[in-house]
Amino acid sequence: MSVDVSNYVVLAAVMFFIGVAGVLLRRNPLIVLMSIELMFNAANLALVAFSRVWVNNAGHIFVFLVVTVAAAEAAIGLAIVVALFRRAKNVDVDEVAELRG
Amino acid sequence: MSGVPAFAAAAAAPLLAVWLLPLIGAVALWALGPALKRTAGVLGSLTVLAAFGIAAALFPAATQNGGVHVPLVTWIPGYAFGLWLDPLSLIWTLIITGVGGLIHVYSIGYMWNDRAIARFFAYLNFFVFSMLTLVLSDNVVGLLVGWGLVGLASYFLIGFWFQRPSAVAAARKAFVINVFGDIGIMFAVFAIYQQTGSIAFADVFAKAPSLAPGIVFAICLGLFIGAAAKSAQVPLHTWLPDAMEGPTPVSALIHAATMVTAGVYLVARFAPLWNASPSAQTLVAVVGAITALTGALLGIAQWDIKRILAYSTMSQIGYMILGVGVGAYQAGVLHFFTHAFFKAQLFLGAGLIIHALHDEQDVRKMGGLSRRLPFAFWAMLLGTLAIMGFPGFSGYFSKDAVIEGALLHGHPVLAAVAALTAGITAYYMFRMIFLTFFGPYRGDVDEFSLGMPLRVHAAAHEPDQEHGGHAPDWIMQLPVAILMVPTVLAGWLSFGTESPWSRFFGGLFGAGEPAAPFPEWITTSGVLLLVALGLVVAYLRYGSPGAQAAAIDRLRAESRGMPQILVRGFYFDDLIEFAAVKPAAWLGEIFSRYVDPHVIDGAVRDVVWLAGALGYVMRALQNGLVRAYALTIVVGTACFLAYFAFIGAVK
Repeated sequence: MSVDVSNYVVLAAVMFFIGVAGVLLRRNPLIVLMSIELMFNAANLALVAFSRVWVNNAGHIFVFLVVTVAAAEAAIGLAIVVALFRRAKNVDVDEVAELRG
Repeated sequence: MSGVPAFAAAAAAPLLAVWLLPLIGAVALWALGPALKRTAGVLGSLTVLAAFGIAAALFPAATQNGGVHVPLVTWIPGYAFGLWLDPLSLIWTLIITGVGGLIHVYSIGYMWNDRAIARFFAYLNFFVFSMLTLVLSDNVVGLLVGWGLVGLASYFLIGFWFQRPSAVAAARKAFVINVFGDIGIMFAVFAIYQQTGSIAFADVFAKAPSLAPGIVFAICLGLFIGAAAKSAQVPLHTWLPDAMEGPTPVSALIHAATMVTAGVYLVARFAPLWNASPSAQTLVAVVGAITALTGALLGIAQWDIKRILAYSTMSQIGYMILGVGVGAYQAGVLHFFTHAFFKAQLFLGAGLIIHALHDEQDVRKMGGLSRRLPFAFWAMLLGTLAIMGFPGFSGYFSKDAVIEGALLHGHPVLAAVAALTAGITAYYMFRMIFLTFFGPYRGDVDEFSLGMPLRVHAAAHEPDQEHGGHAPDWIMQLPVAILMVPTVLAGWLSFGTESPWSRFFGGLFGAGEPAAPFPEWITTSGVLLLVALGLVVAYLRYGSPGAQAAAIDRLRAESRGMPQILVRGFYFDDLIEFAAVKPAAWLGEIFSRYVDPHVIDGAVRDVVWLAGALGYVMRALQNGLVRAYALTIVVGTACFLAYFAFIGAVK
């Protein structure tokens, strides 16, 4: 049984916009990081879906790359969050605005 | 005009030595100055006198085959610099180094107690070098360089006593007016190069007859603006009387004998150009005659002995300019030649008096000095007889030559003005002699210390002078004594039809003088009559026993009743103030009050304000909120997508 590719793409779009909304609306840095992961995986899903449609393995290779980079990104992001928490004792991204002009 | 002769190797080294010796002296004095003290004077005098000796040895070479030409540097084709010694530049070179050397020797005594004596001699040597650059150059650009340098040297020397505000003001005035003249010459040089494609005198003169009359007139006009500024011709003369703020030897060397006659040299040197433009000649002659008369009239009203001599210098240069202006070049140059001797002698004699009277220059506070200062008396008397044209003295020949020249070249009115000026000259010069040397002594210097200056009063008078005794009398008297010989005799060089003077120049100024349609004695006796009249009036007003008895009351009344127009110098200073200084000041006011703060500073301020305003707006975007940045990215991406979706929909 094969599922139509448009279902995968719509699911990827929904996941992506949930991620965007999470980044824009939530103030907890941990949730923001998770939302970013959600967007990565939406992109991964789209890549795999199109890879299957075109019968081309490049999409799978991209996905592995993205997963690797996302892992590194999550490590750096969590390190920043920990450093922030040690310094400011809070978990609100809006409170961290030292670069305001 | 014979062309420039071929390179003469034998004369090249001596000519270079003449030119560079004063420069070496100046540099050495600048470098070693303070260590040399009074030796500086000896060193400075020796370089100039050595230059004179070498120049005199070049006399035969300079007067044969068009003179000595030494090419030095070719910058680019058409811009060749070199030295050229021909009869005309030889005359100037000999006067500059000869009379200049004597004045150097005199200065050793005059500046004996001045701390800055080395600086003084460095300036004097630098002046001599500049003047030699002017007269020895074989091209118009080199001449202009020398022209500028003598102006600079003059500025240094007028302002030598820079502690006096009046000296600094006089130096500045002289410099500004001279630079105005330099600009005239500069434009003439541009026009010459543009028209002839060369800066060498020889090429310019060869092409002079073929140029359009209007062009030649414009070039002559530019040159004459420079000549008038340097040679104190009306209306650019007002700096010369003020320049008397400099030390008296400077007045003798620069503002009487040499630099101020550079205008005469310029006109005589460019004789082929002037010959090609009769209207330019007339302009020069008229200005010369007006200057001669103006200077003489203003000389009447002066009380400062150096200002009397300054106005007489202006008047005599007017004669020279008149001479070269009408085309009587030999007569004009002859008057320069004799004037250099007698005017240097008059100034040096005045320096003796001023020195003896502890810097008193007012003739009202002199009188009776012939007994106390007999040497100065004879020096001044001989100089005065020469300048007024007493028969047999040098000025008699040269002044008559100028007046006759004006008549022969068809300017009877100008000749009459010059003859009238001769009478006035006799009057004001003898007024000075009578006031200075005859009658009772009216000054406040202790009569017993007269002639023994500085030993008693030096410290009190000049704060910058050391108290070091005074120079032996002969140092200052010897140069004056030597000058007496040519003062009396130099005119005889031009006596007769085949005189040494006319043979000396040969064909330099083209054809000889036109033959006189009337006997010479008519003009001579007419001039002599006016001179005698001036002398008699001066005697009646100042010299007769009756006038001398009431001298003090008389002088007081005359000082009060002096016509304002003469005291203010025919309002030339006010005219220049009104026509040039005030507008310049207004312009400066406008620029400092409006243009600078509002346009120039204003533009800078506006740019600063603009950057600030832009920064204020942009700063709002930098709010430091990560979520806001993310929103910007999302909105931007959305816009991109919407745009391309729209493009796609349209297609």
